[in-house]
Amino acid sequence: MKRGLIARMLPDEVFDARLERVRLALAERDLPALLVYTDVWRSNQGRFVTNFMPYWNRSLIVIPREDKPVLLCGLSPRVYPWIKSVTILEDIRPASKLVATLEQLCVERGWSKLGVLDLPKLPMEIHSGLGKFEIVDVPSNGITDPDEEEFSTRRVAISQARIILEHWLGRVPENIGELEREYRRGAAEDVVIRVKRREDGAYSVRVALELGGHWVKVTRATGPAEELAALREKFHEMLATGAGYRENLAGPQPYEPGTGRIFFLQVEHNGLYRGDTCASGEHPL
Amino acid sequence: MSQRLSVSQINEHRRGQLLDLMADRHWDSILLYGQGWRKDYFRSLVNVNYSGPYAAAHLTRSGELTVLVTDPWDCDLLEGADAAVNYTADFCSALPRASAIAGLELMENRFLNCAIPPSATADLEELRRVKTPEEIECLRAAAALADRGYQYFADSIKVGMHEFELVAEVEGFLKSNGAEDNFMLIASGGTEVVGMKPPTERELKRGDSVITELTPCVNGYYAQICRTAVLGEPSKAQLDSFAIFKEAQQAARDLIKPGVRASDVARAQNDVFRKYGYGDYTGAKYTRVRGHCLGLFPDETPHILEDVDYVLKENMVVIAHPNTYLPLAGYMVFGDSALVTASGNELLNKAERKLFVKEI
Repeated sequence: MKRGLIARMLPDEVFDARLERVRLALAERDLPALLVYTDVWRSNQGRFVTNFMPYWNRSLIVIPREDKPVLLCGLSPRVYPWIKSVTILEDIRPASKLVATLEQLCVERGWSKLGVLDLPKLPMEIHSGLGKFEIVDVPSNGITDPDEEEFSTRRVAISQARIILEHWLGRVPENIGELEREYRRGAAEDVVIRVKRREDGAYSVRVALELGGHWVKVTRATGPAEELAALREKFHEMLATGAGYRENLAGPQPYEPGTGRIFFLQVEHNGLYRGDTCASGEHPL
Repeated sequence: MSQRLSVSQINEHRRGQLLDLMADRHWDSILLYGQGWRKDYFRSLVNVNYSGPYAAAHLTRSGELTVLVTDPWDCDLLEGADAAVNYTADFCSALPRASAIAGLELMENRFLNCAIPPSATADLEELRRVKTPEEIECLRAAAALADRGYQYFADSIKVGMHEFELVAEVEGFLKSNGAEDNFMLIASGGTEVVGMKPPTERELKRGDSVITELTPCVNGYYAQICRTAVLGEPSKAQLDSFAIFKEAQQAARDLIKPGVRASDVARAQNDVFRKYGYGDYTGAKYTRVRGHCLGLFPDETPHILEDVDYVLKENMVVIAHPNTYLPLAGYMVFGDSALVTASGNELLNKAERKLFVKEI
């Protein structure tokens, strides 16, 4: 869960440009507003457009075509000052019942239809509550595609992920807590560490690290030097050929099997694993 | 030293409960859906800490269990389990149809490409509320770790430390000692503090109240402790304020037993604040809940609120915490996880029930 430092890392102009993408997509579809679902796990799209990252609960971000974004917020009004301090959001409305509050907003603004970012991925409870509206799927392609600032953030994140993992790699199974401490000292928002052991005692460690609202993943292994060299070689072969296990790191979810403009590639050799965060056209970030 | 216990991957008690439920409702199968935030519906039957984005457990009325995971490494967690385990890169296509789904409300719409089956969420939540002996052992271990984690927290705070650095220290400690996860909020300062949130870059100062709720997860089960510490000598206002919180929490503790309503537990706490003229600070403007249940999710229902008409049962685990803002010294927290016993309750946390003071 997100217990790290959630901070404002990018200037307003970056978010202005991202919101402009939204408004263009709305104009193309003649839609008055876009709905962006966000919760404690699936927060990256909301963070991309407003820097809002819920540490708990779920919320809806409504981006009007002609106005500033509105946050329909499942969190207590007591934390609104904190939200305003770390996001571009100014209009925050309490919403213990998200759909009912959305309906109120739509009545207030005279909206009868809405765009929904990645509609098929909307939770059933929210989706089924939108029956009063004409809802239109607005795919995230073209809206939350990584921009240069996102690439920069991810480069910082993957660099941190690699350096700290490689420093601790030989001591990991007994020191997972120490590894997590190091990442969180570096302002990570979330960390998920997994260890996969081989029978002879060699092991692989995979770290998923969230920093600045973006996830990166890296896997490194211990074992005989010649096996590790073969593993590295195989990784680069797979990168060149497009094969190997891949996860999309640029989608609505933090990561899921598939590929995208930023992806995680992991390969296996003799029960050892190597993985890295890569970008199409750039290769390991 | 790890707190990890030897816990079954498959909760056979729950499998029996679900088979009874299916027979009662004439369901042929049930699906327990999990994603990154809410693993609890899945883990109530298949208790492994998956790291893929989704997982699902499909149980038929004849007792056959099929588990679907979306991270290839998650298959390792289920070696030897009495279930068919499948990894899939295409969860949407691989998801079996079911007569009912627990966690349905959270399920992405793309996974529901046919008629939407009934929700089993409320049924499963009710089945989970009364804990088995094995579950109680997990919660005891989590509470013991929460106690140690809080002591580490109290020992670690110092003037000049950033809030997020303190959280990093505590997270490292908890993970080093067997926690799979931890839910944690924090705040520091004085009367300007109106609630807890994620850590910031604020530096701790002499005289601050430093408040936290720690909720480590051991073998899937979360126990919580809420405590307030003062950095340096506490002021009279801090001491007076804390005395009210302690009295309110004791009022709840004196009341909790089978047959008591959640609303009465909330009212007992709030009445203490009312007695001292602070009744206005027991409502939604200043606080969220007066407690909640614990288990596979750190904020299980029923919540302890004056309008929640739920009767507590033996072997539920609940935390009563009168956490709120008071103008005396700002937001304060105080609470312990408690097991509802046949005749009352047993505190699972053993940490001192006091306002902690860090000498500087």
